[in-house]
Amino acid sequence: MNHTTRVYDSIFELLPDVENPTPLVRVRRLNPSPTFELFAKLEWYNPFGSVKDRAAWAMLHELEQRGEVHAHRGIVEPTSGNTGLSLAAMAGARGYRMRAVVPNRVPLEKKLLLKIVGAELDVVSDELCPAPGLGDGSINLAKTHARAQADRYAMPNQYENPANVEAHFRTTGPEIWRQTEGRITHLFVSLGTCGTVTGTGRFLRQQNRRIRIIAVQPGPGHDVPGLRNLDQLAVSKLFDPSLIDEILEIEPELAYTRALELCRQEGLLAGPSSGLILEGARRIIQRDGNGLGVMIFPDNVFKYTTNFRKHVRELQEGLESPASRV
Amino acid sequence: MSTTESYAQPEVLVSTDWVKQHLHQPGIRIVEIDVDTQAYEAGHIPGAVGFNWQTQLQDPVRRDILSAEGFEQLMRQAGIRNEDTVILYGDHNNWFAAYGFWLFKIYGHRDVRLMNGGRVKWLNEPDKPLTTEKPVFPPSNYKVQSMHTELRALLPQVFEASQKGHYNLVDVRSPDEFTGKVIAPPGMTETAQRGGHIPGAKNIPWSQAVNPDGTFKSAAELRAIYVEQKGLDPSKPTIAYCRIGERSSHTWFVLKYLLGFPEVRNYDGSWTEYGNLVGAPIEKP
Repeated sequence: MNHTTRVYDSIFELLPDVENPTPLVRVRRLNPSPTFELFAKLEWYNPFGSVKDRAAWAMLHELEQRGEVHAHRGIVEPTSGNTGLSLAAMAGARGYRMRAVVPNRVPLEKKLLLKIVGAELDVVSDELCPAPGLGDGSINLAKTHARAQADRYAMPNQYENPANVEAHFRTTGPEIWRQTEGRITHLFVSLGTCGTVTGTGRFLRQQNRRIRIIAVQPGPGHDVPGLRNLDQLAVSKLFDPSLIDEILEIEPELAYTRALELCRQEGLLAGPSSGLILEGARRIIQRDGNGLGVMIFPDNVFKYTTNFRKHVRELQEGLESPASRV
Repeated sequence: MSTTESYAQPEVLVSTDWVKQHLHQPGIRIVEIDVDTQAYEAGHIPGAVGFNWQTQLQDPVRRDILSAEGFEQLMRQAGIRNEDTVILYGDHNNWFAAYGFWLFKIYGHRDVRLMNGGRVKWLNEPDKPLTTEKPVFPPSNYKVQSMHTELRALLPQVFEASQKGHYNLVDVRSPDEFTGKVIAPPGMTETAQRGGHIPGAKNIPWSQAVNPDGTFKSAAELRAIYVEQKGLDPSKPTIAYCRIGERSSHTWFVLKYLLGFPEVRNYDGSWTEYGNLVGAPIEKP
């Protein structure tokens, strides 16, 4: 493997680590302060398109090493899309099956992409009428497959698997530390399984106890795919509140507004969760005044075009020629 | 967690451990009924048959519960006999399992019980087996022996309860459905033209009856919620409703069997009937 010429023997060699980090790009026009440096870590430069490649590979690699997956035994995983996509693409390349269980509210693009890369797909209606401890329908259905057909499926279980955290401790954290030459003062992340915040945060804290770790979450009733707010976090066993200095709750619609600005004013084609993180970072920058902040941008905008169309009125118009609107 | 001893009729509940101990025992039949109709196929308790609420538990043509003949037919095909003990369980804290329980009681089945905690509790206990194998039973000659329509509320009674006030009228939907902020939970296709609730109804969401592990709260806790906090009068007859009658079956079960209210009816027409009526009074804050 040669990162200089970028010639590789397999797609797996592109997976990031400290020698081959995902890019860190300075935010210029949308940074409200000249005394605060703000960078975005573009996780869509992962080979399968999102930050989830890191956890997916760590979990899969571990299952392979233990001999738990092979030609006759694949994997089943509950996912809001990105982990499923990473796992499905990886499983396909390694020669075993992948079954993805997704909540109905997952964007159409992600459902289609899962099928395109060869996943079997189960779609479940979640959040019918909330109850304490009911659990997440997609997690329960995936667990059912894994228990009832243990000979066919192993379940990585990104919500509980420590490999999810270790992946970020081993790669994301060290990459950021080296890329900022140890100057990072603020880390801005969103919450889903919490693998990113827990693994990256733990590594950075070991280097410098004073780094502030700021989590950004959408308010209740949100439609920001892949993210969870505090009420929905109970399903994750990887959430470590002791690492987090602040949790900012942001109005969900701002995820779309800010992502649009990133696309139009920074040339960063970021998805809605990145927009939400930018909004959180701007608020902290305005308050704290100086420092060096890193935002982890989970994925790009391409999987969310239908969501954008739903949330941004101007995108609903002018998509057809006037002649076809008879 | 909850103890079953102080319930009015504790025999209608069995634990997941009890079910495991009685797997494949003659005379005991297990039936899964889910909201998500793909759950049974994905994996179920060994020996359990699955009923689909959409295609098997209602009249296929008009809007109505399954007829007595239809119920007999379903029991015969599933090989369930009149003398069998039937254990029901399902997803979403037994919503449709409770609806099934109500239907079994309408058609006079003597011994039917709910598995406390339902499918999720079973799934999250590592010692409990799951299978995709569908059991085969010889057909039975099941006969409906008595009908108990007094367990069901129809529209005229609901009007009477709303207008005269000598009933407890309980709306078990979420607060947003009760106030009319939403007409139905997201993604539900059965809906109504209008939002709000039946005048005089008290909002006690069904989920207040369950613990985080999916089991029912203790009798003392339930009494504190339904009687002391929400002010239901156990001496009055009660009607429970929701959107299509499955969540309200859950509350109907709580009030009738766990708290021992003397006369409890499930209004299965629920909001999808009432909220579509022309000219019917609606309360909407």
